[in-house]
Amino acid sequence: MAVASVEQLTFAYPGAPPAVGDVSLSVEPGEVVLLLGASGSGKSTLLRALAGLVPWFHGGRFAGRVEVAGLDTRRVRPAELAGVVATVFQDPEDQVVLAQVEHEIAFGLENVGAPPAAILPRVHDALAAVGAEHLAGRRIAELSGGELQRVCLASALALEPQLLLLDEPTSQLDPDGAEAFLDHALAGDAAVVISEQRPAAALARADRVVFFENGVVLLDAPRDAAIAWLDEHRPAWTSLQPSNSLLEGRGGAVVSRVSDAVFAYPTGPRVLDGASLELRCGEVVALTGPNGSGKTTLAKLAAGLLEPAGGAVERTGRAAFLLQDPGRYLVSETALAEVALGADGRRARCALADVGLAWAEARHPRDLSSGERERLALATVLVDAPDLLVLDEPTRGVDPERKAELARLLRAQAASRATLVVTHDVPFARAVADREVSLGTRREALVA
Amino acid sequence: MRPTAAAALLAALAVAALVADHLWSVGALALGLLCVCLRAGRRARPYLWGTLVSAGLVFLLSPLLQSTGWHVLWSGPVVPVLGRLDVTREELWVAALNALRLAAVGLAFAVYALLLDHDRLIAAATGRRSVLAAVLATRLVPTFERDAAGLVEALRGRNLAPEGLRGHAALLSPLLAGSLERGTNLAEAMEARGFGRPGRTRLPSPPWRALDVAAVAAAVAIVVVAIWL
Repeated sequence: MAVASVEQLTFAYPGAPPAVGDVSLSVEPGEVVLLLGASGSGKSTLLRALAGLVPWFHGGRFAGRVEVAGLDTRRVRPAELAGVVATVFQDPEDQVVLAQVEHEIAFGLENVGAPPAAILPRVHDALAAVGAEHLAGRRIAELSGGELQRVCLASALALEPQLLLLDEPTSQLDPDGAEAFLDHALAGDAAVVISEQRPAAALARADRVVFFENGVVLLDAPRDAAIAWLDEHRPAWTSLQPSNSLLEGRGGAVVSRVSDAVFAYPTGPRVLDGASLELRCGEVVALTGPNGSGKTTLAKLAAGLLEPAGGAVERTGRAAFLLQDPGRYLVSETALAEVALGADGRRARCALADVGLAWAEARHPRDLSSGERERLALATVLVDAPDLLVLDEPTRGVDPERKAELARLLRAQAASRATLVVTHDVPFARAVADREVSLGTRREALVA
Repeated sequence: MRPTAAAALLAALAVAALVADHLWSVGALALGLLCVCLRAGRRARPYLWGTLVSAGLVFLLSPLLQSTGWHVLWSGPVVPVLGRLDVTREELWVAALNALRLAAVGLAFAVYALLLDHDRLIAAATGRRSVLAAVLATRLVPTFERDAAGLVEALRGRNLAPEGLRGHAALLSPLLAGSLERGTNLAEAMEARGFGRPGRTRLPSPPWRALDVAAVAAAVAIVVVAIWL
């Protein structure tokens, strides 16, 4: 018997067109189903429907039937489905309730009425299952992004669910962290439905792939057949083309040079100890490395957002820096007004068109999907025509086809500036960069 | 000390500061709470600023709005509605007392927000839903501060650094919108994790120790003495 079945599901959020239309699928016990598709194509809506959050939490128009472990999600509230279903959302910071790791994992167990004497052992078992026993006594505020994501996974696994839902859970993790996370998440007996925008690691582990487009299931096939279909019809999902640049621009003038930089945040240990980086006009540099290796800090030094405690930074011209998760930091009432903060209306419209958001100029930024917000934020820095453009994790939440477009855009404009891309996304780094600087291993390698 | 006992003690100190009439005793309470608050280090800064500014405003403005006392220290112009602005020694005394009361209450809240284990407070509470709401509201201050810093940094990255009071005030609206969005996301995650479902159990908590009992007894005694004096 299927763990979950979806029959002719059509759902529209209040005041919006249908997010998914006539979707039918089933998930068998122990099966790993990978959901792929562009931002806003309906993947997250399906996950929310399987958790019962659609329509209970979001409202809207719901037609069809969703059953999980024999429970009709229209009759059973999401809170009552907890334990049968467990969800790990995209942003771990927005799902943490308590301040201490053990208490956070125990929160769900308490809610579902686990016997008090069994709670702590199950908490420790869940931490062990994600390789994070050492985090048991830690405070949530002290954890890195990767550690926090593992705590969120432990919170879900502690419930021993029949169905585990993962919504882009590796978007903030470096490649090794992402692989380890997926290994832990898929090691149990639960059926898993996972949505991903960096599909390589998940594709290697999935039993079945469902591809969404505009709210409709375009493909529902076993993995190997799905990979063949993707290769033929949606090649960006299986490989981004490496950059063909031959570093002709590398001889351009130095725009920013960081030499032997030392930096520590207040009350913290040294993040950088003798780091160096040189950025020249005409080149695109990818700055890679594991979580916590100081990539963002080095990029901020290069752009002048931070001052080093030791070493030197020389910079010429104007720098623009796009923070991680920039969608949180939009301040205007419309997309056009947001971009026009840094330029006149005509240039703002051009910048919106460059990132494929010409249609959204009158929309409120917070009404856009997370991937669309990322692109809007990109337009806000492109419009300024900076001499140095620094993008910190610009592909988070962005689907592979948009990543390919972003890579083409950055390559097309590369000659006019120095560009630094801080990223965990190895295929994207290879698609966009002339050279890669890797922190942690202090390795520097030519890509092209 | 158990957070429930510590919270009772802090509440008692805040009540004592509100009902006490002696400037020096309220001042001593505020000073003691300030010393405890400073143990939180840099994290205490927004709370200290908020408390200092609020108490300072009370001290500066309330003498101008009152009309009590007869030892006039300064006499100013006549202002429509308010009448003559003057400051008397008695008004200054009342203003200082109220400012210290406000400071003591603010610092007690800061100690609660910064140094107590809120998880155990929630676990011990009988009204878990309301205590959880209060604790999550408490967390708004550091979250708001972090979001504000992120927003300013994001604008600096776009060469649009906000300037002056007006520039910073314009950030309030997006900050509030961001807080609402965070709140909605958290509520969704809590619902998905079974919050509000009947039949909830609790992680076993450690037994009460002598120090906890002493703290609760001291809290009761402080309130009684403050009312009696």
